[in-house]
Amino acid sequence: MSQANREITISILKYDPQDKTVEPRFVDYKLEETPGMTLFIALNSIRSNQDADLSYDFVCRAGICGSCGMVVNGKPVLACRTLTSTYPEGVITLLPMPAFELIKDLSVNTGKWMDEMSKRVESWIVTNEETDISKVEAKVEPKVAEEVFELDRCIECGLCLASCATKLMRPNFVGAVGLNRVARFQMDPHDQRTDEDFYELIGDDDGVFGCMSLLGCEDHCPKNLPLQNKIAYMRRKMVSVK
Amino acid sequence: MNTTKSSNMGMKKSRMPARLDYFQSGSGLILGLFMWGHMLMVSSILVSKDFMYSVTKFFEGSFLFEGGAPILVSGFAFFIFVVFIVHAFLGMRKLPANYKQYKVIKETSSTLNHEDTKLWFIQAFTGFAMFFLGSIHIYIIMTNPDQIGPYASADRIWSGWMWPLFILLLLAVEFHGTIGLYRLCVKWGWFDGEDPRKTRKTLKKVKNYLTWFFLILGFTTLGAYMKIGYDHRHNVGERYVPSTAMVYQIDKVEVA
Amino acid sequence: MKVHYCDALVIGGGLAGLRASVAAQKKGLNTIVLSLVPVKRSHSAAAQGGMQASLGNSKMSEGDNEDLHFADTVKGSDWGCDQKVARMFVHTAPKAIRELAAWGVPWTRVQEGARTAIINAKQTTITEDQDRHGLIMSRDFGGTKKWRTCYTADATGHTMLFSVANEALKHDVDVRDRKEAISLIHENNRCYGAIVRDLITGELEAYVSKGTCIATGGYGRLYKSTTNAVICEGIGAALALETGVATLGNMEAVQFHPTPIVPSGILLTEGCRGDGGLLRDVDGHRFMPDYEPEKKELASRDVVSRRMMEHIRNGKGVPSPYGDHLWLDISILGREHIEKNLRDVQEISQVFNGIDPAVEGEKGWMPVRPMQHYSMGGIRINPTGESQNMAGLFSCGESACWDLHGFNRLGGNSVSETVVAGMIIGNYFADFCANNDVEISTATISKKLEEQQTYLEGLVKGQGTENVFKIKERMQEIMDDKVGIFRDGKNLADAVEELKELLERSKKLKIASTKMHNNPELEEAYRVPKMLKLALCVAKGARERTESRGAHYREDFLKRDDENWLKRTLTSWKSDEDLEPTITYEDIDIKTMEMPPAFRGYGAKGMTIEHEDASVRQAEVDNLTKEMQAAGKDRHEIQEALMDFDLPMNYKQKNERVGD
Ligand SMILES: Cc1cc2nc3c(=O)[nH]c(=O)nc-3n(C[C@H](O)[C@H](O)[C@H](O)COP(=O)(O)OP(=O)(O)OC[C@H]3O[C@@H](n4cnc5c(N)ncnc54)[C@H](O)[C@@H]3O)c2cc1C
Ligand code: HEM
Ligand code: HEM
Ligand code: SF4
Ligand code: F3S
Ligand code: FES
Repeated sequence: MSQANREITISILKYDPQDKTVEPRFVDYKLEETPGMTLFIALNSIRSNQDADLSYDFVCRAGICGSCGMVVNGKPVLACRTLTSTYPEGVITLLPMPAFELIKDLSVNTGKWMDEMSKRVESWIVTNEETDISKVEAKVEPKVAEEVFELDRCIECGLCLASCATKLMRPNFVGAVGLNRVARFQMDPHDQRTDEDFYELIGDDDGVFGCMSLLGCEDHCPKNLPLQNKIAYMRRKMVSVK
Repeated sequence: MNTTKSSNMGMKKSRMPARLDYFQSGSGLILGLFMWGHMLMVSSILVSKDFMYSVTKFFEGSFLFEGGAPILVSGFAFFIFVVFIVHAFLGMRKLPANYKQYKVIKETSSTLNHEDTKLWFIQAFTGFAMFFLGSIHIYIIMTNPDQIGPYASADRIWSGWMWPLFILLLLAVEFHGTIGLYRLCVKWGWFDGEDPRKTRKTLKKVKNYLTWFFLILGFTTLGAYMKIGYDHRHNVGERYVPSTAMVYQIDKVEVA
Repeated sequence: MKVHYCDALVIGGGLAGLRASVAAQKKGLNTIVLSLVPVKRSHSAAAQGGMQASLGNSKMSEGDNEDLHFADTVKGSDWGCDQKVARMFVHTAPKAIRELAAWGVPWTRVQEGARTAIINAKQTTITEDQDRHGLIMSRDFGGTKKWRTCYTADATGHTMLFSVANEALKHDVDVRDRKEAISLIHENNRCYGAIVRDLITGELEAYVSKGTCIATGGYGRLYKSTTNAVICEGIGAALALETGVATLGNMEAVQFHPTPIVPSGILLTEGCRGDGGLLRDVDGHRFMPDYEPEKKELASRDVVSRRMMEHIRNGKGVPSPYGDHLWLDISILGREHIEKNLRDVQEISQVFNGIDPAVEGEKGWMPVRPMQHYSMGGIRINPTGESQNMAGLFSCGESACWDLHGFNRLGGNSVSETVVAGMIIGNYFADFCANNDVEISTATISKKLEEQQTYLEGLVKGQGTENVFKIKERMQEIMDDKVGIFRDGKNLADAVEELKELLERSKKLKIASTKMHNNPELEEAYRVPKMLKLALCVAKGARERTESRGAHYREDFLKRDDENWLKRTLTSWKSDEDLEPTITYEDIDIKTMEMPPAFRGYGAKGMTIEHEDASVRQAEVDNLTKEMQAAGKDRHEIQEALMDFDLPMNYKQKNERVGD
C-alpha cells in the first residue's frame, strides 16, 4: 500500500465544435496516480482540480451502460473500465471516438446514432400475435433464451464502430452493432419476421454485405459478443434468401 | 397493434448485393485455390526441367493429342482471366472510393494497430497492384500459350525482363491470396464450430504458414527460372528438348 | 423562444419513464420523453439481480402468489409502505414480466431435470418438473418466502431497459436525450411541463404539456459512497420540491448495501458471503463473529452494514486514499468455485481493482465498504401517481414515493416497481392528459423561461469565490459521515446546520468558463443547490424521526415506534429564500390495513413500541378471514373484502399460474 505513487500524464484532444475561435489542441494534465485509478477517477480529478471545462461522458462507471467509449492510446475502450496502471509508460493519450458526431472534447453523440440504427433495423419484436398477459407466458427453450441473451448483452457503446474501418470509410454502414441486433431478433422465437423481412433491413452494401470482415468489432467489443460468428450467420442467411 | 412493419412496403429489395457478395467470394475462392495449383505447377522447375516440361505438356493436353495443343492453355487462361476480371471489379467496389476514404482506412489500420484491419489494407493494396501486374502476365500467357516451357518461360523472365514484375506479383498474390482465403473462412463462418474464437486463431496460424510456404516456394522458383534464363541468355528463342525417357514415362502413366 | 407542445411529457427515460411513455403513446397521445443521457444508458441498466414477480414456475417458487409477495413487501418496508399500493403492485408484477417476455426480454428459463445449487452454504439438489420446462425461472433474493426473482443471467436491468426502450421507439415515442429539465412550469397548483436545457447547445426550451410525469430515478449521489450511477442526483425530485407546492415523501429513507467495492462503488453480489466469503479488517482478522456470533457474515444486509461501519469506527478499517475500508475474502472458496460461480465478482475485481480474488492471502482480498444503494423517498404521490398537491404532476419509479417500499425495499422489488408503475401510473397519467387541456398563457411560459435564462447567465457571470466542486464534495462527505448508516440526534443536527451553510455558499459561486453551452461546471452550478435542498430534506427528516425503522437507524432511538411514528414524512420548500424544508406528516392508518404492524420475522425481537390499533385491526382481519373461509370464499374474495384496490386497463384480471 505504501509504495510511492508515480506521476502520470494524460494528454487530451480538446475541441469544442461550437466554439470556432479555438482550434483542436492537445492539453497535457499531470496527476498523481492512486492505487486502482481508472480513467473515470482520473478525469474527474482533472475536472475538479485542473480544468473545469473538460467534457466527457460517464454514467454507470461500471462498464455496463456504454457511455464512456474513447480512444485511449489508439484503441477504443470503455474508459471507466480502464486502469491507468495498464500503461506502464505513464503517458495516456485520449481522443474522442471517431464514427460519431463530436459534441465536445471526449464527448460524442453515440445516442443519436444508436437510436437511428435501432429504428433502421427495427430493433424490436415484430409479431401479429396478441399476448394475454394474464395467462401463463409462452415457453421458450432455455438454450434458445440463453443464445438470445448472449446477443442481447450489447450495450450500444459503439466501440465496434470506432474500430471498424469500413464504418469510418462509409458512414452509412450499419456496423456490427446493427447486424448483431438483427441476428438477435432473427433468433428470438417471439419475433415472426422471416429472413425475407430481415433482408429488407440489411440486404445491401450498407448492411451485411458492406461488412468486409475486418473484425475490429469482434476484437474490441467490451462485452465479447460473438460478432464474427453472428455476422457470418446473417450473411449466410441473407445470401440464401430467394 | 403489432403489425409487421416493413421499410418499403411491397417493394422488394434488390437481391443483387447478395449475388455480388457471393460472386466476389466465389471468384476469390477459385482464384485462391487456382493459385495454389498454379504455384505447384510452376515450381515443377525445381524438380527438373524435364518435369516442368512434362507438366506443361500435360496441361496442353498431351495425354489427348500428340504433342499437345497450346490453345487449351489459352482457353483455360481466358477462363481464369475472366474470373480474375470479375473478381477485380467486384473487389474494386470495396476499395476506398476517394482519397479521403483512403486516408481513413490507412490511418485507422495504423493507429488502431489491429491485425485484421492491417491485413485488409494489405489485401486492398495488393489487389489494386495485381490489377495491373496480373493483367500483364495473364495477357502474355493467353496470347502466347505455346511459349511456356523450361527455356521459354525462363527467357521471358530473364531476357524479357519479366522478373521485376514477378517479384512484385509474387508478393502481391501470395499475401492477397492467403489473407483472402482466411477472410473467406471468417466471413462465412465456415469452420466456426463450437468455439469460433479458437477456430479463428487456428485459421490465422494456418494462413501465416501458407503465406510463408508459398513465398519461399515462389521465390526459389523464380530464382531457378532466373538462373536458367541467365544461363540461356545467349540462346533466347531456343526450345527445350526433353530427354525421351521422361516423356515416355509420363505418357505411359497417362495412357494407363 | 422555443416552445414545444405535447400531450404527455415524461421527464426521465429509465425503465419507469419509458414504460409510462409507451402507455401514453398507445392511448394516442403525442408523447415526449426527455433524458439527460441516451435512454438506454439510464441507471436502470445497472440492475443485475433481477425482478420480483410471483409466477411460481420453478420448484423453489412453487405455491408462490400475490399474497406471499404482498406479505414480504409489507414486512420488508417495516410497515412503512402504503398497503393498497403494495397490493396494486404485487397483482400487476406477473403481468409486467409476461409483457416484457413478449417484448423480447430473454428471461432465463426453467430447465427440466436435476441441478445443484448452493443454499445457505450447502450443496443441494433441485429437480425441476417437465411441465415447467421453458417457463420463466426465478432465483433467491434476500427477504422473500419463495424464490421469486426473475432474471436474465447477470444483466436483468440491461435487457429490460433495452426491450422497453426499443418498444418506445417502435411506438414512435419521441425520445430526446441530452435534454435536462431544470424547472417545472406551473400555475395555480397545476403543472404544465418544464423548462429544459439542451445539454449540447445550452439553449433553454419550454416543453408545455397537459400532464408531466417525472421518472428521474434516485438521489444516491447526495452521498459520496454509492452504488448509483453518476447521474442519480435526484434532480427530478428537486424540481418538484422547488415548486414550493409539491411535497416529497420519506426522504430520510435511504438504503445501504454492505459490499460495494472501493473506490468505484460497484456492487459485489451477496452471493460472495452466501457461499462462505469472509470479512476481514486491517489486521486480517475476521471480525463478524465478534459481533454476530450466530449468523456471522450471513446476518441481514442492514445488520452487516452497521457492524462493518462500527468496526471501521473502532479504528479497524484499512486506510486508503479513498477512505477506510474492510476486506472481503473469497479466496478460501477456492479458485474453481470462484471461476464457476462468482465469475462476475472476479471480473469486476480484476478489471476495476487489478485484484484476482482467487489468489490466496492478502493479495486476493477485495476492498469493500457499505455504501448508499437505494432511495425509498421521492416525490409523494397518490396511488394513481399524481402528486398530492399539484395537479398534472405525476411521478413513477425510484424518483417517486408511491410508497411501495416504506423504509426498506426488498431486493428485486425496484426494477419490478419501475415497470409496474410505468403500466399503472402510466395509464392514469395518460388518462389525465387525454382529459385535460393546457390552460396557461404564453406570457407565463416566457416569464418562466426568462427567469431560468437570467438565473443561468447570473451563474456564469457570478463574481463569488466559491468552488462548486468543493461544495458538492463537502455535501457528499457530510451525508456519508452524518446521515449515513448510523444516525443520531447530534450528528444529524450538525449535518442540517452545515448543509444550510453550504446552501448559502452555493449562492456565491465563481465559474471558470463563461460559455453557456456544454460547460460542465455550469451544470454543476445549477444542480448542486438542488441537491443541497434534497440533502436537507433527508437530513432534517432523519433528525426529526426519533425512531428506527427499516433502513433508518437511530442509535439514540433504537426501537420502531408505531405509536408515534407510523407516518410518512412530507417535506416541501415553501420559499426560495428558505434554507431548510418545511416538514409535515401524513398518518398511515392501521385501521385500513390488510396486514397490521407486527414483528418482521427477522432482526431482534421486542424492538417495537406498538400502536394500540394494531391488535384491534389484527383481530378484525382474523375474524373476517375465518368467516369468509368458512363460507367457502377464495383468497381473492377475502382479500377484496379486507382491502379493495383499483387498477387501470384489465390489470385487475387474475393471474394464471401453471400450478393452479
Ligand atoms: C448497482 C445497482 C443494482 C441494482 N440491482 C437491482 C436489482 O437487482 N433489482 C431491482 O429491483 N433493483 C435494483 N436496483 C435498483 C433499480 O435499478 C433502480 O431503482 C431502478 O432501475 C430505477 O429506475 P428508474 O426508471 O426509476 O430511474 P433511472 O433508471 O435511474 O432513470 C432515470 C432517468 O431520468 C433521466 N433524468 C434524470 N434527471 C433528469 C432531468 N433533470 N431531466 C431529464 N431527464 C432526467 C435520466 O437520464 C434517466 O433516463 C439496483 C440499483 C443499483 C444501483
Ligand atoms: C485485379 C486483381 C485483384 C483485385 C483488385 C482484388 C481485390 C480484392 C479485394 C478488394 C478483396 C476484398 C474484398 C472484401 O473485403 O470484401 C478481395 C478479396 C479476395 N481476393 Fe482478390 N483481388 C484481385 C485478385 C485476386 C487474386 C489473383 C486472387 C487469388 C489469389 C484473389 C483472391 C481473393 C480472395 C480469396 C478474396 C476473399 C474473398 C472475399 O472476401 O469475399 N484476388 N480481392
Ligand atoms: C491460367 C492462367 C495462368 C497461366 C497459364 C499461368 C502460367 C504461368 C507460367 C507458365 C509461369 C512461369 C513464368 C512465365 O512463363 O511467364 C507463371 C508465373 C507466375 N504467374 Fe502465372 N499463370 C496464370 C495466371 C496467373 C495469375 C492469375 C496470377 C496472379 C495474379 C499469376 C501469377 C504468377 C506469378 C506470381 C508467377 C511467378 C511465379 C514464380 O516465379 O515463382 N499467374 N505463370
Ligand atoms: S456490439 Fe459490442 S462494441 Fe458494439 S456496441 Fe455492442 S457492446 Fe459495444
Ligand atoms: S470491424 Fe467492420 S467490417 Fe465487419 S467484421 Fe466488424 S463490422
Ligand atoms: S460509464 Fe458506463 S460503461 Fe463506462
